Amino acid sequence: MKKLILALALGALVITPAVAQQTIKIANIVELSGPGTTSGTNFKDGVMLAIKEINAAGGILGKQIESTTNDTQSNPGVAKGLTQKAIDQEVFAVFGPVFSGSIMVSMAETRRAEVPNFTGGEAASITQQGNPYVFRTSFTQATAMPKIARYITDQAKVKTLALIYVNNDFGKGGREMLMKALDKSPTKIVADISTDSGQVDFSAAVLKAKQSNADALFVYTNEEESARALRELRKQGWTKPVIGETVLTSQKVIELAGDAANGAVAHVGLTIDAPLPAIRAFRAKFEKEYKYICDHNGLKGYSGVYALKAAIEKVGKLDRKAVAKAMHTLKVKAADQPGILMDVEFDANGDLDRDSFLTEVKNGKQVITATLPPLGKKK
Amino acid sequence: MKKQSAIIFTSVALLALLVAPHFLKSYGVYLLTYWLVFILAAMGLNLTVGYAGQKSLGHAAFFGIGAYTVAIMMKAGFSFWLGLPAAAAICFVTGILVGFPALRVQTIYLAFATLGFNTAAWLVMRNEEQYTGGTFGINNIARPELFGLSLDGALAYYYFTLGVTIVFGLLLFGLLRSPWGKAFTALRDNPIRAESLGVDVRNYTLLSFAIGAVYAGVAGALFASLVQFIDPAPFGVGQSIMMYLMVVIGGPGYFFGPVVGAAVGVVLPEWLRFAQDWYLFVFGSAVVLLMIWLPDGLLSIPDRIRARRESREASAARAAAVTAAAANAGKGSGA
Repeated sequence: MKKLILALALGALVITPAVAQQTIKIANIVELSGPGTTSGTNFKDGVMLAIKEINAAGGILGKQIESTTNDTQSNPGVAKGLTQKAIDQEVFAVFGPVFSGSIMVSMAETRRAEVPNFTGGEAASITQQGNPYVFRTSFTQATAMPKIARYITDQAKVKTLALIYVNNDFGKGGREMLMKALDKSPTKIVADISTDSGQVDFSAAVLKAKQSNADALFVYTNEEESARALRELRKQGWTKPVIGETVLTSQKVIELAGDAANGAVAHVGLTIDAPLPAIRAFRAKFEKEYKYICDHNGLKGYSGVYALKAAIEKVGKLDRKAVAKAMHTLKVKAADQPGILMDVEFDANGDLDRDSFLTEVKNGKQVITATLPPLGKKK
Repeated sequence: MKKQSAIIFTSVALLALLVAPHFLKSYGVYLLTYWLVFILAAMGLNLTVGYAGQKSLGHAAFFGIGAYTVAIMMKAGFSFWLGLPAAAAICFVTGILVGFPALRVQTIYLAFATLGFNTAAWLVMRNEEQYTGGTFGINNIARPELFGLSLDGALAYYYFTLGVTIVFGLLLFGLLRSPWGKAFTALRDNPIRAESLGVDVRNYTLLSFAIGAVYAGVAGALFASLVQFIDPAPFGVGQSIMMYLMVVIGGPGYFFGPVVGAAVGVVLPEWLRFAQDWYLFVFGSAVVLLMIWLPDGLLSIPDRIRARRESREASAARAAAVTAAAANAGKGSGA
């Protein structure tokens, strides 16, 4: 036991680096094992790809980026410890964790140390705590759901809506936001159907939706479950609109659901399937580097690093506080900073907003039917 | 001699625990505190599994019940000092209830019964959203105050956890030396003989669960305040298996087994991080090798050495006896 303590102390000493401001140190604190493995790995690979590109192009303000990566095991307790470790090592910024539960814990540490923290977490509450050091790398459900709600009410003219959602923090969070967005609209939710993560049989859920006699169905589950739901809907002869958010019309779901995916409509933020040349190019680069197709978490990590770069360049020096402050009203144009992929705007809470798309599956392909402007602009 | 060396070892270790955090940064202190919490939890499981021989795979549920009790009570405005005994009491009662299947089934069947309990408890934590926050968990759990002293700082909380662990360690030590402790081991080694000697098998089985659960509950309470956030994930069946592993690796039925076992479970993976992507693989392999080499746990090393020495001495004595006998026989025939 004594030995272990000694070893631990020694280990802590060895790890502590002596390099000062010669490089910009970034810590990846991500899920590389446990249930968050896919999200964390994608996010980390996105970050690493951006760092590699930036370093090859001369770094930020002429300084190279140096990164460390640590696995949280998808465990908030470990994530908190690792964030402290990163702060002990005086990193300039922290990327991750992706899981909402983990970032909720670890961001208290980065806030105390005044270190900018970029997260892939999408739970609305992350940026509602008044933490000036936490920044999104993607839409939240709080941004996405009002957009799709506006479509449901105004364009699709849906009066009654059935909802199938997955019972985890992702599904529940989305459900809450959708309900809030639809609260004052003429659209009423007439069936509220919970399904489990990893559920195989959707016959009961679809039957309930049918019995509710709703005008349309909203499906908010993860990829595999969405495909199963679509297949079951086809099987039971559902002919009314099927609406979703991001996942429902993603490439993975189309592959799994086959013909049954045709006709599904979804709101899509910045995803790997978005039909923009910059994103197509990114997708190809990523696949060449890591030999797999990245999902939206890879995009988050990648564009997140470029957002940090833009903020540092705007401030002109390596000052964490000033950079965090600059992030809060940062507007990055893809024309100036190609790595950001799409024009983006950060608000005072650290949330971001940008264009998004309405997509439909036609003949087994995701087709853009409309471009939706950022929420703030339309008002 | 053995007692003396044990006392010396314990005091040196204690001294190291008192001094160590001053040489560590906040991450190191956090990790040490994490380790202490798991020592406490594993001590309880060691009583249930190691001393009383009840194969329980539901320990993380008690850990979670303790954590949630304190978190929910603190969110409702009660003090930590009210939450802690409440957590212990609730765990004690639940422990007795969970002990009942152990009166009917044993070994692997009991393991599955307790595993089922753990899954059920986990589902309650996940689904009863109005109380537990569901998968969103409970955030911003405060750290307690002690005699007006804030335990908010990493170092202060470490010493607090160390104090609680030592107090509960001493209590367990006293319990194991008492007739109760003897009754527990009798239960493990031969329940029929224990019963024929007048040990109330039913009561002691239930008590072994209940007391073990109290330790887990207190550890859970400390855990909630340490991480300051809980969600159902760390209280699943996987964690129960991890705790069982800590007990088995350390040495079930050895008093300091949980100390070593929790170090292997908590500190070793962190320490192996230099192996990058492979660190959990290295950890898994290390555990497999340990189990092959030392099936009775790390603390069985001194016993093994002693046993080996004794057997060597015995065989030397035997060999000496044989040669002596042969010499005698030779003498006899020669005469």
